[in-house]
Amino acid sequence: MARRLLAGLFVALLLVSPTIPSQAQLAERQVLRIGFDAGDLRTLDPHMASATMDRAVVDMVFNGLLRFKPGDISQVEPDLASRYEVSSDGMTLTFTLRQGVRCHPFPGAPEGYELTSEDVVYSIAKSATPATSAYAGDMAPFTATAVDKYTVRVTLKRRVPNPERYLTNYSGGFIVCKRAVEALGDRFKTRPVGTGPFMFSEYVPGQKTVLVRNDRYFRGKPILERVEVWYMPDLSSREFALQRGELDAIEGPMEQPWVEKMRKVPNTVVDVFGPGETATLHFNITQEPLKRLRVRQAIAHALSRKELVAFVGPAIATPLFSPVPPELPGGLTEKEVTEAGLAYPTNRDYAKQLLREEGLPGGFSLDVIISERAQYRRPMENIQAQLRTVGINLNLKVVDHATFHAQIRQDLSPIVLYVAMRPSADIFLTQFYHSASTVRVGKAPITNFSHYSRVDRLIERAREATDPKEQVRLWKEAQLQILRDLAAYPLFVSKFVYARKPSVDWGHRLKSILALYPQIDETTRIVRR
Amino acid sequence: MARYIVRRILLAIPTLLTVLTLVFLLLRVAPGDPAVVILGQYASEETLQAFRERMGLNRPLWIQYLSFLSDLLRGNLGESLISGVPVAEQVRAALPYTLELTASGIFLGALFGVPLGVLTAVRRNSFVDYLGRTFSLAGLSVPAFFLGILLMYLLSIKLNLFPTLGAGSPGNLMDRLFHLTLPGLALGLVMTAYVTRMTRSAMLNVLREDYIRTARAKGLREQVVLYRHALRSALIPIISIIGIYSIVLLGSSVMVEIVFSRPGLGKIMLTAMKQRDYAVLQSVMVIYAAFAVLLNLLTDLLYGLVDPRIRYD
Repeated sequence: MARRLLAGLFVALLLVSPTIPSQAQLAERQVLRIGFDAGDLRTLDPHMASATMDRAVVDMVFNGLLRFKPGDISQVEPDLASRYEVSSDGMTLTFTLRQGVRCHPFPGAPEGYELTSEDVVYSIAKSATPATSAYAGDMAPFTATAVDKYTVRVTLKRRVPNPERYLTNYSGGFIVCKRAVEALGDRFKTRPVGTGPFMFSEYVPGQKTVLVRNDRYFRGKPILERVEVWYMPDLSSREFALQRGELDAIEGPMEQPWVEKMRKVPNTVVDVFGPGETATLHFNITQEPLKRLRVRQAIAHALSRKELVAFVGPAIATPLFSPVPPELPGGLTEKEVTEAGLAYPTNRDYAKQLLREEGLPGGFSLDVIISERAQYRRPMENIQAQLRTVGINLNLKVVDHATFHAQIRQDLSPIVLYVAMRPSADIFLTQFYHSASTVRVGKAPITNFSHYSRVDRLIERAREATDPKEQVRLWKEAQLQILRDLAAYPLFVSKFVYARKPSVDWGHRLKSILALYPQIDETTRIVRR
Repeated sequence: MARYIVRRILLAIPTLLTVLTLVFLLLRVAPGDPAVVILGQYASEETLQAFRERMGLNRPLWIQYLSFLSDLLRGNLGESLISGVPVAEQVRAALPYTLELTASGIFLGALFGVPLGVLTAVRRNSFVDYLGRTFSLAGLSVPAFFLGILLMYLLSIKLNLFPTLGAGSPGNLMDRLFHLTLPGLALGLVMTAYVTRMTRSAMLNVLREDYIRTARAKGLREQVVLYRHALRSALIPIISIIGIYSIVLLGSSVMVEIVFSRPGLGKIMLTAMKQRDYAVLQSVMVIYAAFAVLLNLLTDLLYGLVDPRIRYD
């Protein structure tokens, strides 16, 4: 019996051992250097940071009350809060904070200080204020009050689906240290102080941001001693630096040829992970000839998602059939869309027939604005080639990315190819299909480029629904209506691409990540290879 | 001389004023909104509006212009719209890197370009001349940043000799020089091509002159003829071309900084351009313009040193 037990124990140890970071496996130098496609940082204030390279730093320095399980967005777990309760009406969330969580040191507080409910209340108020937060629109319904030193009550002004997802380590959910923000003032943008596994150490303008290990991190001492985030807009430079071992990981372009090329480079691993970003064509349904449904149907039938995905690259792109990606609750699957007869299978003869019926036998031409970024320009060039086969000519006006965003918000492009990810179906549908979000003319204009308004009530009803099943049903109904009216045509989802040395172990499997980068946390390490 | 310098500096003021006015206007005319760039696609119009308000981007253009001018006159370059870092602080941190990079390019260009130019002129239509001409033509045709990528591939990736990343540790001179080698060489080779070509042409003109024939007839050694008589006369156009191309080199350093991931004014400028960071961009452009004016002045002053006949009255 004892021998059997011992044997069982031995087998169990063998199975478990590869997942436990043993000291023997660790490299002597625990420094991770990662290169991002950026010239410099923009801001490290977590409520203002929206660019990939900034969010990557923010994620290491700050925490949310809750967090997405590293590498898996399907699970939300407590972080700064040790537990939380949601009231029966879903309008109040009560968080119990972990005790002993310390803010990093900053001028005036060389030992930092303990994070309490005062900091949480301050953070949520800051995050909901337009002057101090880029995410104020989403955080506006949230108000926090301190019940006691370690208890915070968050109340909703209006119903929000899955409110706990807004209080995570994403966008407006990061918790800042009140005294540090007040002490540092504007300097907080480049000298962040949080509670995360890594502390800000140095910022060299135009070159890098250096973070060091937070030995007092509440989840335990991080394995990495130091993280260097390099700002390197030139792809060849990032590749060379990785090959020479001057960097350990780099951000890559979302392009299949690059993935294939880097996979052939010795001593290099390519990580391709999702859910990625959705690419969708939005049609301005108030403009001729796109205001005619059959013209939009002709475009849809002229396009082939299969060709597009083959062009973009099957390693990084998968076809998308629904306005909300199926990975998010409420997203439609290919089967659901096909069964509803709204997949618009490629049929170019039928597309031509539809154009003839609309009095456009020779097709038509449109001037379309598109970003210079390959992630936008290349698929759009393929779409241009596909539509040409039925006589539709898109005259592409390629502009730099900042100009693209400015001009599409001025309603200057009748067709907009938009690449985005949003954390929930509600945000997706509200920002892209609710009439209030209509560019230039909406009450709160954001990204409704279609001028679509037929699912407002469904989006609002879903927001108000207390039964999650009913909520999902309403979201799906809204999307089927959007597809029926062809306000937009979902194309594909493209995944993120990073290359790294095999010695880099992120500490978790990159299953699905809402962030645009592999998250570096207390378990990330450099191992001997 | 002092009066001449003061006059030139005074004359530079309208030039700088024109540059900064043009830069200011062009930036505002160009599409793109810094609010969208910093706050991202996610931000609502209300948030964007609050940002514009806070940064003064909603004020009438002429008020923004006057405020920029008055700040500049008081030596205040403003703060980055994006990161909030004072522009002066960014410039102070980046300037030494740009200056050392450009200076290394000019130094290498003069060091190799002048002797190569003299050699190709003296050995006109020989193999050495053809080789030198081919080299200078190639150098003129290849942009410095591309040369940088080639050098990086050959000397860093294949031969593992030099680093590809950054500018080295600030306090370690050897490390700084080590990191400067490849980017300096990328600019230096281009500069060498320009200087070689100009030196060759200037030398060929001078070598046809009567006084060179007379010097040779007097039995002077060929080296004395070449370096004391011919080269000295040819130096004016050579200095002139070094002056002009130093300004061009300053422009080329922008992309070289990007390729080698070095900090520098160029990198700041390009990033600010992408981010529509008006405050940083207009200040950095003014600094570049000031450098161009300064390099021109230095070139003019050097004329007097090599040719005593030139007076600055």
